[in-house]
Amino acid sequence: MAEAKTILVRIKRQAGPRETPRWEEFSVRWRPNMNVIACLIDIAENPVTSDGQKTTPVSYEANCLEEVCGACAMVINGRSRQACSALVDHLEQPIRLEPMTKFPLVRDLVVDRSRMFNDAKRMRCWVPIDGTYAIGPGPRIAPERQEVAYALSRCIFCGNCLEVCPKVNEHSDFVGAAIVNQVRLFNMHPTGAMHAHERLRAVRGPGGIQECDNAQNCVKACPKGIPLTESNNDVNRQALLDSIFGWIFH
Amino acid sequence: MPGKTAATAEIQPEAAVVPAAVPDRSYIWDKIHSLTGIVPIGAFLLEHFWSNSYALVSVDRYNQQSFDLQTIPWRVPVEALLIWIPLLYHGFYGIFIWSKGKANLSRYSYGANWMYVMQRWTGLIAFVFIGWHVYVERFITQGRSNYFDVVTTLSNPLYLTFYVIGILAVSFHFGNGLWQFSNKWGLAVGARAQRKAAWVAGAIGVLFAVVGLLIVCSFVFHWQPFQFYAQ
Ligand code: HEM
Ligand code: SF4
Ligand code: FES
Repeated sequence: MAEAKTILVRIKRQAGPRETPRWEEFSVRWRPNMNVIACLIDIAENPVTSDGQKTTPVSYEANCLEEVCGACAMVINGRSRQACSALVDHLEQPIRLEPMTKFPLVRDLVVDRSRMFNDAKRMRCWVPIDGTYAIGPGPRIAPERQEVAYALSRCIFCGNCLEVCPKVNEHSDFVGAAIVNQVRLFNMHPTGAMHAHERLRAVRGPGGIQECDNAQNCVKACPKGIPLTESNNDVNRQALLDSIFGWIFH
Repeated sequence: MPGKTAATAEIQPEAAVVPAAVPDRSYIWDKIHSLTGIVPIGAFLLEHFWSNSYALVSVDRYNQQSFDLQTIPWRVPVEALLIWIPLLYHGFYGIFIWSKGKANLSRYSYGANWMYVMQRWTGLIAFVFIGWHVYVERFITQGRSNYFDVVTTLSNPLYLTFYVIGILAVSFHFGNGLWQFSNKWGLAVGARAQRKAAWVAGAIGVLFAVVGLLIVCSFVFHWQPFQFYAQ
């Protein structure tokens, strides 16, 4: 019988935020239609490097395995993307896996992306409906508008758009395209629009829309194909008009 | 709270209640930087290429135009207000913006990312070129530069090369800057509008480069294709 085909995977490992990183190489048995997560599952089952050294299982995050939860973002062969949709047969070997660099590292391939949720809160990216009595159904939304909003609503908070952005780094507090897109989404919603002014004020705050310099890597990196440049430009227009005329109406 | 984002940063506990962000001054400073690129700096660039195009008519017309500009009332305050201060602000704030970004072209070599990097380097080249250009054509000639001063400068191959590079850098920076502006001020939002804005901005950039180089040719070769206007 022919020898089983194997895949080489090199992983940047780091036991904790303060430990020094190191690279380890693993060889994994090839199977049809494998994705990077399948490799990581195999490595977790048998954490032995390709030169026979026993090691700790590699930490990583993944849930849905179909590009809807956002958890599995990492840097694969130098580019930030979802591991579950990264098919082994389409990748150059050895496959290099690294954690994202723009978020605090937890361990191995796991990073902490809670800044995205904090920023979404700072920018008021929700529709406030809680109160002491039922306020009834909201207005209906025209299908054309639903279509636009649907595309924006597909964001999975994976953080790829932040990872690839030259303006997201330790010298700048730019919130990133995902959050700007949320501002646009919630301003489009007829109930959400009642708080548009508050969002547009927030998005002119620290790390706001003014930090976007249109390198436009975000729109290339987004696994959900969200028109992020369009969202940035639209929020730029809304924020500008709000900064000029907002005080008249509020 | 805007957290530090490097891999070495401490993990922040997720906050239950986060106050809304409020506008800070950086929004307005960024908008002013963006605007100064178009008016007055871009507008002055247009005026500058226009006035220098008199070289394509005749030496006399060029010298007349120079003299007219050199003898406007309130020359120094007008220049300071409309050119020096905005240019210095745009230049230094541009370098500040540059310092807040970390280029990643080697990993993500997409078109717009190239433009991002080029915008910064052409801005720096423009800054150095303009500084030297002003020193040579304004201060050395004590504000009385004429046709032959320019011919003298351009007769040095080194200076000529610097002029060509300067003109190309400034034209690129202005053309790409117009495209930036259409994004940053939300003038082109949809995909089709973005494409059109890119074409228009690119065409204006190319136009500036071509006219700029023709002006240089005019000085170097004493080439005056519009001379018949003056006859
Ligand atoms: C001939 C002189 C110049 C002209 C006509 C010019 C024009 C422009 C324009 C129109 C923009 C776009 C504004 C926007 O962001 O919306 C811009 C942006 C910019 N300029 Fe200039 N500029 C000039 C000189 C400089 C200089 C000397 C520097 C200094 C290094 C510089 C650095 C920048 C930077 C960093 C940006 C921001 C680009 C971005 O946001 O991605 N510029 N400029
Ligand atoms: S906008 Fe796209 S890349 Fe950014 S977090 Fe959402 S899904 Fe991910
Ligand atoms: S595992 Fe959910 S997006 Fe990859």
